[in-house]
Amino acid sequence: MKELMTDHISQQFNNELEDLRQHFLTMGGVVEKQVSGAIQALLNSDSSLAEDVREQDLTVNQLDGLIDEECTRILAKRQPAASDLRLILSISKSVSELERMGDEAKKIASLTLSLIEEGEAPRGYVEIDRIGIMVSRMIHDALDATARLDIDLAIKVAKKDRVVDIEYNTAIRSLVTYMMEDPRSITRVLNVIWVLRSLERIGDHARHICQHLIYMVKGVDVRHVPAQEIHKEIE
Amino acid sequence: MSETKTHSIDISAMQRSQKTLRIEDEKPCLSVKNLHLYYGEKEALKGIDMMIPEKKVTAFIGPSGCGKSTLLRCFNRMNDLVDSCRITGEINLHDTNIYEKGTDVAELRRRVGMVFQKPNPFPKSIYENVAYGLRIQGINKKRILDETVEWSLRSAALWDEVKDRLHESALSISGGQQQRLVIARTVAVKPEVLLLDEPASALDPISTLKIEELIHELKTEFTIAIVTHNMQQAARVSDYTAFMYMGDLVECGDTNTLFTNPTQQQTEDYITGRYG
Repeated sequence: MKELMTDHISQQFNNELEDLRQHFLTMGGVVEKQVSGAIQALLNSDSSLAEDVREQDLTVNQLDGLIDEECTRILAKRQPAASDLRLILSISKSVSELERMGDEAKKIASLTLSLIEEGEAPRGYVEIDRIGIMVSRMIHDALDATARLDIDLAIKVAKKDRVVDIEYNTAIRSLVTYMMEDPRSITRVLNVIWVLRSLERIGDHARHICQHLIYMVKGVDVRHVPAQEIHKEIE
Repeated sequence: MSETKTHSIDISAMQRSQKTLRIEDEKPCLSVKNLHLYYGEKEALKGIDMMIPEKKVTAFIGPSGCGKSTLLRCFNRMNDLVDSCRITGEINLHDTNIYEKGTDVAELRRRVGMVFQKPNPFPKSIYENVAYGLRIQGINKKRILDETVEWSLRSAALWDEVKDRLHESALSISGGQQQRLVIARTVAVKPEVLLLDEPASALDPISTLKIEELIHELKTEFTIAIVTHNMQQAARVSDYTAFMYMGDLVECGDTNTLFTNPTQQQTEDYITGRYG
C-alpha cells in the first residue's frame, strides 16, 4: 500500500500528491503541538503559552485554506480516479478535522486565560490531565497512521475514542455532583467542563481522521460503523 | 518561554508552490498583434491579440472551427500554403515580424517546428528520420549526426525503446512511438518553438500520458504551443490556457485559474460542458 501515490507516468502528478500528503502531515504536526500546548498551559496556569496557542490558530487556518486549494487544483487538473481520488477526498476532509481540532485548542487556551483570571477551579484538573494525555496520543497515532497508511493503528485510535467518551462522561458526572454540593464554584467548574468537552471533541476528530484514512486505503466508508466492527467491515 | 513559541513552519514555501502564474510577468516568445485571417470571404480569426510566453506550455482549447488550429498554423506560416487565405496584423517571433516581406520561411519553420495529429514518419529508418533535418541543412558528419540523433531520441523519451533498432523502418514501431519519433525529428534541428496540433488524439491513454509527460520535460528547453480537443489534457500539461470561440480569443491566462475559476462566462460554459 506504500506505493499508493507513486508510479504514475506523470512524475508531476506524483509530486503533487506527495506534496499534498506532506503538507497535510505538516499541518497535523502544528495542530498536535497546539493541542498539547493548550493542555500544558491549562495545567501549569501558563498564560503566555495559552496566548501562543491562540495565535497558532492563524497558521492552522492558513494551512487549511492552502491545502484545500491544492486539492481543488488537483481535482480540476488531473481528474484523479480510484485510489488517487480517495486520497484527495480523504485529505480534504481530514484537513477540516484538523482545523476544528485547532479551534478546540484555541477554545481551551481562552478558557485557560479565564481560569487564570477568575481563579482556579476546585476540581477537574486530574481528569483534564488524564483525558488530555489520551487525546494527545490519539492525534499522534492518527497522524502516524496516515503517514504510514497503517490501518491497524487507525482502528486502534477509533477504539480508543470510545474510552475517551467513557472517561468524559464519568468526569462530567462527578463535576456536576460537585457543583450541586458547592454552587459558588459553578462558574469556575463550568470552565473546566467546557475544556473537557473540547478534549472530547478533539478525540472525535482524531477518530474521524482515522475513518477517512480507512476510506482512502480500503475504499470502505466506516464513518457509521462501531469501532469494534471495522475489522469485519474491511475484510 | 514555551517551546511552542519556537515552533514555526515555512508556509511561504507552500504558498510559492501554488502561486498563480501571471502572463504579464513572462518573457514573450511569440506575440500576436491584431491578427485577422480570412479564408476567401470568411473571417476565421477576428483580431487576435496575445502572447506565447517563452519556455512555457500554452494550450489552445475551444470547439471545432473556433480557429485554434488556424492560429497555430499562423505561427510558422503554414497557412501560406492555402490559396484563398489572407492575413493582416503581425506575429513577432521575439522581435521580428514573421510576416515581413523577405522572411526566410524555411528558416522560420526550422525555428518553429510542428507536430501533427497523425504521426507522419518518413518511410526511412528511425535513425534517418531524426537525421533528416540535419542532412538537408548539409550536415553529414557521422559523429554530429550520431550525437544529435541520440540527444533527440532521449529528449523525446524514446531512446531506450529504440536504441537497438535504429536502422529498422520507422513504420515498424507503434503509433505512440512514431509520434515521439516525429517529436524527436522536430527537436533535432533545435527549434525555439514547438507547435503541437493535437499530438495525442490518435493515441491510446498510456501513450497519451507519455506524450504529456514528454511535453512537461521539453518545456525546459522549448516554448510549446499545443492545440487539443481534450480539455483535461490542456489542464494537465499547460501553464497557460487560451480559450477560443468563433475566431475570437475569449480568455487567456493561468491554467489553474482558468480551470477552477474562469473570468468569462463563455469559458465557464465550455469547460463545464454546457455548450448546446
